[in-house]
Amino acid sequence: MRTKLTVNTRDVSVEAPPTETLLTTLRDRLQLTGTKEACVEGECGACTVLLDGRPVDSCIYATAAAAGLSVTTVEGLCGPDGSLSPLQQSFVDHFAIQCGFCTPGLLMTLSALLEANPDPDREEIENAIAGNLCRCTGYTQIVEAVEAINQESLS
Amino acid sequence: MTGEVGRSSIRSDGAAKTTGKAIFGTDVILPGMLHARLLRSTVPAGRIISLDLSKVVEFPGVHGVLTAADTPNQRSGLVLMDAPLFASEFVRFEGEPIAAVVADTRAIANQALALASLEIEEIPSVGSVEEAIAPNAPLVHPDWESFATPPGLEWPRSGNIVAETSSDPEGVDEAFAGATTVVEDQFETGRQYQAYMEPRMAVAEFDGQRFTIHVAHQFPYNVRDRVAAAIGVNPSEIRVVGHHIGGGFGAKLDTGLEPYAALLARRFGRPVRLANDRSEDLLTCQCRDNAVIKIRTAIGKNGELLARDVDVLMDSGASATDIPFLTSIPMHVFGSLYRIGPVRIRTRAVYTNTAPTGAFRGVNGTHLYFALERHMDHIANRLNIDRLEYRRSNLQADGCKLPTGQVLNDAGILSEAFDAVEQLAPWNGLGQGPNRGVGIAACMWLTNPMPGSATLKLNSDGTLGVLTAATENGSGAIATGVRQIAAEEFGLPAEKVIVTMPDTDAAAFDAGSQGSRTTHIVGRAIREAAIEVRAQILDTAADMLEAAPEDLELANETVSVSGSPSKQVSLAEVAATAQANSGPISGTGSYTTPMPPINPTCASGLLFPAFPTPTYHVHVAEVEIDPATGIVRVLRYLVAQEVGKAINPQAVRGQIQGGVAQGLGYALWETLQIDAGRYSQRTLEAYGLPLATDTPEVEIALLEHPDPAGPYGAKGVAEPPIIPVAAAIGNAVEHAIGKSVNTIPITAEHVLEALSNS
Repeated sequence: MRTKLTVNTRDVSVEAPPTETLLTTLRDRLQLTGTKEACVEGECGACTVLLDGRPVDSCIYATAAAAGLSVTTVEGLCGPDGSLSPLQQSFVDHFAIQCGFCTPGLLMTLSALLEANPDPDREEIENAIAGNLCRCTGYTQIVEAVEAINQESLS
Repeated sequence: MTGEVGRSSIRSDGAAKTTGKAIFGTDVILPGMLHARLLRSTVPAGRIISLDLSKVVEFPGVHGVLTAADTPNQRSGLVLMDAPLFASEFVRFEGEPIAAVVADTRAIANQALALASLEIEEIPSVGSVEEAIAPNAPLVHPDWESFATPPGLEWPRSGNIVAETSSDPEGVDEAFAGATTVVEDQFETGRQYQAYMEPRMAVAEFDGQRFTIHVAHQFPYNVRDRVAAAIGVNPSEIRVVGHHIGGGFGAKLDTGLEPYAALLARRFGRPVRLANDRSEDLLTCQCRDNAVIKIRTAIGKNGELLARDVDVLMDSGASATDIPFLTSIPMHVFGSLYRIGPVRIRTRAVYTNTAPTGAFRGVNGTHLYFALERHMDHIANRLNIDRLEYRRSNLQADGCKLPTGQVLNDAGILSEAFDAVEQLAPWNGLGQGPNRGVGIAACMWLTNPMPGSATLKLNSDGTLGVLTAATENGSGAIATGVRQIAAEEFGLPAEKVIVTMPDTDAAAFDAGSQGSRTTHIVGRAIREAAIEVRAQILDTAADMLEAAPEDLELANETVSVSGSPSKQVSLAEVAATAQANSGPISGTGSYTTPMPPINPTCASGLLFPAFPTPTYHVHVAEVEIDPATGIVRVLRYLVAQEVGKAINPQAVRGQIQGGVAQGLGYALWETLQIDAGRYSQRTLEAYGLPLATDTPEVEIALLEHPDPAGPYGAKGVAEPPIIPVAAAIGNAVEHAIGKSVNTIPITAEHVLEALSNS
């Protein structure tokens, strides 16, 4: 079946079986490989994308159900000139990245958090990313990267 | 000097990893690429009665299948040649590959595989280490005697015992006979899944003569050699190209899917991608071995440790992997940290009908120190001495000797590590109040000595290229540490150093990201290479500046004449001039740590004889127990860690924070129960990884006693943070509830059970 949706502000139309997941469409058809496949059970959050601004696990979300909606992936976070968003830059500056496989999903979850709550406290950040598994960092430097955005914008 | 060493320079891969542009192994797409899946055993032990793949082959979009019948199916392995590529007559663990199918897409391969007709008759299995050594136990490998070992490498093995290391020094029985007190414990520890976020994968292509294998792997040269042995070609016929690695933690050191992808690519004439889904990845991963450890210590009238007797049973699963090396580790652990008389140690690794186990960050140090440090608490409690005070009064000092005969010249650092955690938070102030407890645990650990190399080239634009087959597994060893060391050598900012991704056709051998070795070994190789490169730079600059090389200074991307700073040339000008006149500037260095001397007759089966470049660490955990639910909450976690020199303090901090988180998972939550050879947990959700809401911020004190052999003094950093965690947590839980929990993970159920046993 044909599904029309917006991906990173571009209109796309894909011909895919009704059972195809948004993750498969993004990675295999659109070759947007920034979104990662790690569990395909909606547990780890590595495949998180924004659907009309709301974070969803693209591995358990049917592409057909995204018809007419706007999808943002990690490739859509940079500015038009390719510059890193404040969140992306803060991840780099504060060692929130190790292997980097969970990073795209975390960035999407946290982008949605910051949109809804520009000044989250530590507990709010930890709760927001409780659905994103990171095996490398132990999370502290990720939380600090988010906190630092506000500290730096206030200073 | 630019001061790159000791500065928290940002990662070279930071931008790529935050924009989705970093290509991980799983992202590799080649023109014409086909997709493969493996048919796997559904039972832990059985005889294959029939296998009919005709419907699989006929399925539209399928290119073909491979089984044991049409492959060079000789057994191979890291040290013991005991693992076939495909099971043929018998299957020995759930998940063991039986056949491969290759198709246009992964979906087609999956649909086709569902049409396979496979009949397996279950046979009696060996499901636990106790079953493996029971009299009349079925043999996991009835033909175990026929398995080859590498030339010159032999060790005691027999039946289900795949490796045994034993040491029986004089005086143990006499010491027990004269002891005032004997304390005895038994500990049981669980299997731990590395649970890297990127499931294992491989993409292989064959050009008619040579293979290229695309991997996200910690040890590309091992992939080359292991695939060559498994499929019967020369190592030089294989090129391994490394891409970004979505975590490994030891599970991506041995081969996994690469030999299958290589065979399929050759057979079907197209590039082939083979990747695990999460469940099969969990089911077949070389997890940390589960173990049963019995330990008994003889204590004198003044509390001195007279002698010890230890028996370790490790679960190797259905093949040996690297386990025959790991049966040596108890020899380095059970006589460490505290002064003690003779230590008798018998360590047996046994075959079971479960997935083969293997390396996981800190290998078996996690459960060996769990046993040693939980046991020390029990001794102190028996003697009615404060647990910290008892440790401190028995601490080893500089010049102490391990049971192997290895002398630790710097063991006095242990005492400083105990001081450092006390500075972070006084022992007597922790674990106070109802349902609260505090635990302390120490460890001594090695920096892996295996060889590595680096080639440096000074580019004509003044940047420095570093060619190495070492891998960036996420730790930052390549993305920060090695890059900063190279920058420091030539007065460059780190941004002007470009380290290649690994390619076995291009760079010389490197032993992979294991045992905290990359910064230490590759950093040292860079310093060796830099001697040669520096000489070429100064010789060229001397001609340009009409000065003697010994009068020149190299700093801030510039070579200048001492005392005449106006006489200077940029590194870029030097590189361009050399390239035009005498040839490009480049040099190569290699390094491997010499093994410290030991007493070679101290034990039999000691394949891993010493702990080079030792480091010393103390962890303290404060916990609170919810007596209604049994849930353990970690309130504070303190680490004092010896690092030699922190090349990048924030990256070191990340290793400690992340290692402790993995250790907390091991201690408290992560569960792979084995029931008659089968895992009860098959998904990440069931397995129970630590979440952001579970993990406290670790309070850290770094100790820096530079290693004269290490680059700028750096020692290994990445493994020690996971090692004493389970011990510190176990000790804290026992302190909080007044009951001993001698199994890990210490789940809420275990805590409730202990609380109800009054």
